Amino acid sequence: MKKLQEVLRDWEAVIGLEVHTELTTLETKMFCDCRLSHDDEPNTNVCPVCLGMPGALPVPNRKAIESIVMAGLATNCEIQPRSYFYRKHYFYPDMSKNYQTTQGPVAFCMYGHLDLEVTGQGAKERPDSTVSKASDGSYVAPIRILRIHMEEDAAKMVHVGGTEGRITSAAESLIDYNRCGTPLIELVTEPDLRTPEEARLFMEKLRQTFLTLGISDCSLENGSMRCDGNVSIRRRGTTEFGTKTEMKNINSFKSLHNALEYEICRQAEVLEEGGIVYQETRHWEPSKRRTVVMRVKETADDYRMYPDPDLAPFDLSDEFVERCRARVPELPDAKRDRYINDFGLKRADAAQIAGDPATATFFEQAVATVKDKVVPTVANVVVNLVPATKAVTSAQVASLSSLLAADAITFAQAREVLEVIDGTTMDPEKIVDERGMRQSTDTDALSATVEEVLARCTDQVRQYKEGNKKVVGFLVGQCMKASRGTGNPKLFNQLLRERLEA
Amino acid sequence: MALTREDVRGIADYARIALTEEELDEMTTYMNEAVEMLQPIREYDLEGVEPTFHPIGDLSNVMAGDTPNAHGRSLDIDVALSNAGASQGRTFRVPSILGDEGGDR
Amino acid sequence: MANFDTLSAAAIAAGVKAGDFSATEVARAALDAIEARDGEVQAFLQTSAELALEAAAATDAARAAGEELGPLAGVPMAYKDNMHLVGTRTTCASKMLYNYESTFTATCVQRTLDAGATPVGKANMDEFAFGSSTESSAFHPTCNPWDTTRVPGGSSGGSAAAVASGEVPLSLGSDTGGSIRQPASFCGVVGMKPTYGAVSRYGVVAFGSSLDQVGPFGRSVTDVALAMNALVAGGRDHLDSTSQEVPANFLDGLEDSVEGMRVGIISALMEHEAVTDEVRKGLEAARAALEAQGVEVVEVELPNMTSAIAAYYVIGPSEAFSNLARFDGVRFGYQEPNCTTLAEQTALSRAHGFGAEAKRRQMLGAYLLAAGVYDKYYYPAQQVRTLITDDYRRAFECCDAILLPTSPTSAFHFGEISDPTQMYASDLFTISNNIAGNGGVSVPVGLGSTSGMPIAAQLQGPAFKDHTLLRMARALERSIEEAGLAKPGTVAPAFAGKGGEL
Repeated sequence: MKKLQEVLRDWEAVIGLEVHTELTTLETKMFCDCRLSHDDEPNTNVCPVCLGMPGALPVPNRKAIESIVMAGLATNCEIQPRSYFYRKHYFYPDMSKNYQTTQGPVAFCMYGHLDLEVTGQGAKERPDSTVSKASDGSYVAPIRILRIHMEEDAAKMVHVGGTEGRITSAAESLIDYNRCGTPLIELVTEPDLRTPEEARLFMEKLRQTFLTLGISDCSLENGSMRCDGNVSIRRRGTTEFGTKTEMKNINSFKSLHNALEYEICRQAEVLEEGGIVYQETRHWEPSKRRTVVMRVKETADDYRMYPDPDLAPFDLSDEFVERCRARVPELPDAKRDRYINDFGLKRADAAQIAGDPATATFFEQAVATVKDKVVPTVANVVVNLVPATKAVTSAQVASLSSLLAADAITFAQAREVLEVIDGTTMDPEKIVDERGMRQSTDTDALSATVEEVLARCTDQVRQYKEGNKKVVGFLVGQCMKASRGTGNPKLFNQLLRERLEA
Repeated sequence: MALTREDVRGIADYARIALTEEELDEMTTYMNEAVEMLQPIREYDLEGVEPTFHPIGDLSNVMAGDTPNAHGRSLDIDVALSNAGASQGRTFRVPSILGDEGGDR
Repeated sequence: MANFDTLSAAAIAAGVKAGDFSATEVARAALDAIEARDGEVQAFLQTSAELALEAAAATDAARAAGEELGPLAGVPMAYKDNMHLVGTRTTCASKMLYNYESTFTATCVQRTLDAGATPVGKANMDEFAFGSSTESSAFHPTCNPWDTTRVPGGSSGGSAAAVASGEVPLSLGSDTGGSIRQPASFCGVVGMKPTYGAVSRYGVVAFGSSLDQVGPFGRSVTDVALAMNALVAGGRDHLDSTSQEVPANFLDGLEDSVEGMRVGIISALMEHEAVTDEVRKGLEAARAALEAQGVEVVEVELPNMTSAIAAYYVIGPSEAFSNLARFDGVRFGYQEPNCTTLAEQTALSRAHGFGAEAKRRQMLGAYLLAAGVYDKYYYPAQQVRTLITDDYRRAFECCDAILLPTSPTSAFHFGEISDPTQMYASDLFTISNNIAGNGGVSVPVGLGSTSGMPIAAQLQGPAFKDHTLLRMARALERSIEEAGLAKPGTVAPAFAGKGGEL
């Protein structure tokens, strides 16, 4: 098969995503008061409602409705005051009533958008001629969101007997309804995505947004956030949509990218060889890096959708929506811009910190106690050193960053200090002093060392004077050795050059 | 247009009700009679008439708090499984799915 | 002392409170009456002697402890077998649920228990409430206590027959298209369908969720009012999203004069070919009785009422298909043995678990909700529902209640109506009430001149004016008694005094 970039020169990919997110931070299920927990023993958190027992009736979880409205506000959706829950019928025992309670044509949230900043290597997937790119190759892709609707998750089924746990050969299946009825929001994009990278970035941004809202733990790995990708391709310059296929079993950002990449290339190969792309659901096999057919859709499924008579309509008041709006915290984009404007952070660092609410909180706690000029150093530490640690506090990072910013320690030493204090309450200052790491910035003392080294390393001095300026690195090293690591390498470098140029 | 025997067979398949050939004949007769009875609905000009899905007046926005087991309805495992035709350990058991994957969700 | 069947529910509660007899004595009398009478009537699918004696003992203990007793203290009650009561099976008179043990207690049942009632058993019904004669019960028919060769009506035929034969003074039924009022009419007792939302549906196995409403049967309007008080006490049920607060005391002002109030009649309806002469005469008697109480009779119109049956047979089966989808033989219900695949197990469990009418309704519903068909029938039926509701609203601008027959005929013989669509027509006068959601009550007005069977008049009131409706019903009952046409509180002659000595 051809490579993606080659394919995308001739073909345009049209990608839409359907993203399901479980509202894992709630206490209870969508339509009953069973505890929301998937880790318990099978069928621990079940009641007549979520087991679909005859006579049981649903009552919607207020916090779930608030959560979806917040999700809609954070993704620039129009909140629809009037909407209904619908029943979507299909006979499969993972949905205890044999219908799923979901929403109809009108969802709580409609017509939103998220703007993606596509930068770096990923931006190259999109041919330059199809979008206006900045000088560094980056571009902005506005992605429309059709809707976000509220629904409930299905039970977990384990297929046993037969080979490899495959459904089709299993002798029987075991059902655990703990997950059945978990509040689930489904976001559907318009088919506005054009590259696998854009799809990956959209998912990432959505995850950052939902994490910031605190409505879900958004784990692709554990399935609390799931994504189906629809993709079709068409010849560049044409506007008619091709036949789309639907990608399932995507449980990482990498899988999303790779599955779409594979599928685009596969479709191109099929079409270029004069074949036909069938409308079908395909399963991504990460280990084999390919998609395989799950089922062919010959006709549209008929779910007999109709408004659920057991659930009163929704007529959300402005007041309700405004209360939700007031609870939407500062979102990643705004936070990133503030970090750039107020703290002078690099855009990439600012975006990375702002994208993860836990990191952003940690960062803001750390910067609260440091001088303004230390803030970029804090960002540097947070982005480059903290991720490798297990348990360091924001106070420790603040202290460490101040030392680093004052050139009292090197970056390498900072890493070493972090390793020592990780998981303890020790103050970095104390470690630095105890271990004699603190670098001297006393010019007189350092000059003495410089003189001693120059006197000893006559060969290198000569080489420098002959034009091999690189040799200064060796001399800095000698100075560091002579000072047993306590001298500041930047100052040594400066003093050596002054002395050699004189 | 009358429903044919094959139409009715398709509906029975969808509704997961196995009908015998004889039952299928009776059901086809019944379905056509019943649908005939519904014709008054189709004779209305309903332009601009809002549907009433719920006969509940202005009742709307009915929601509940997010408190676990607030109504004490959680079922013990033996009660949860007590009416099931087949179970295994703490789970409900069903025979082979055989490619029957339910719908898209 | 007297036979317990001569006592009203109100008199039993008063007697228990006063210590004239104990709740246990009443319970034993009821169980004895059932023992003596039910062989012929077959109103019960199961009796719950143990639960009854436990509840009665608790009532007696509460009295001994000086606690205040509830308004239904010691009153034996029967519950339609689509209502859950822990300690009993809930079968819906279906093979599908022949061994289904209730896992929770329905709110309506619980509220009567909270009021002190003694639960003596579960009453027969048409399978899943689909029917008008109780002939579709999978287990046995129930006989009309006035003539055991005739049906008791349906679907709540067991609940009506148990009260009419003096086995219990009060029972609960459910009414989706007339299923309380029509059997009340056939059995010569009072039966009320309250306004939709007045009584919780939680724990009542659903047929048509937007049509179903629970209500009481009694041998007098006063007993029905007493039961209504218990059903609405405790306010709206937080487990039923469609339930609403009803802050009325139905006994308050029940005996007040209705002079100057207005009752609407629809002359055109009486010309309907299905209405028998004796029913027409019964309605004339009812009109005269109300006029004798000073009620002004006005002519009103419900122009869309004739389409109510069509609307009902769209909405009812659609909701029924959906509500009965959960019966797949997995979590509960009949499970076909020896199936090798899930699809086979589901289709055969449903084929062999459901009776003919249950299958017919579900098939019709599955068709009507199909893509393309939904827009032709379901959606317009809900629009016609709006028109019918508007008709009522306009009619109630000029009257306090509408007077019409409950059923076009008196009780028919077993097997007399075998065509399902012909059976549907017997709901002619009751169905529009379920479509619009407002309340209706059936009151006996004497025996038919031809059949010798009970004839009833129906009063329908505006939504949530059930209190006024019962006051009008009581005036009708009083006036009919004064005219010597019927005597409230009496049981069917053939069963009076059989067993049940107190």
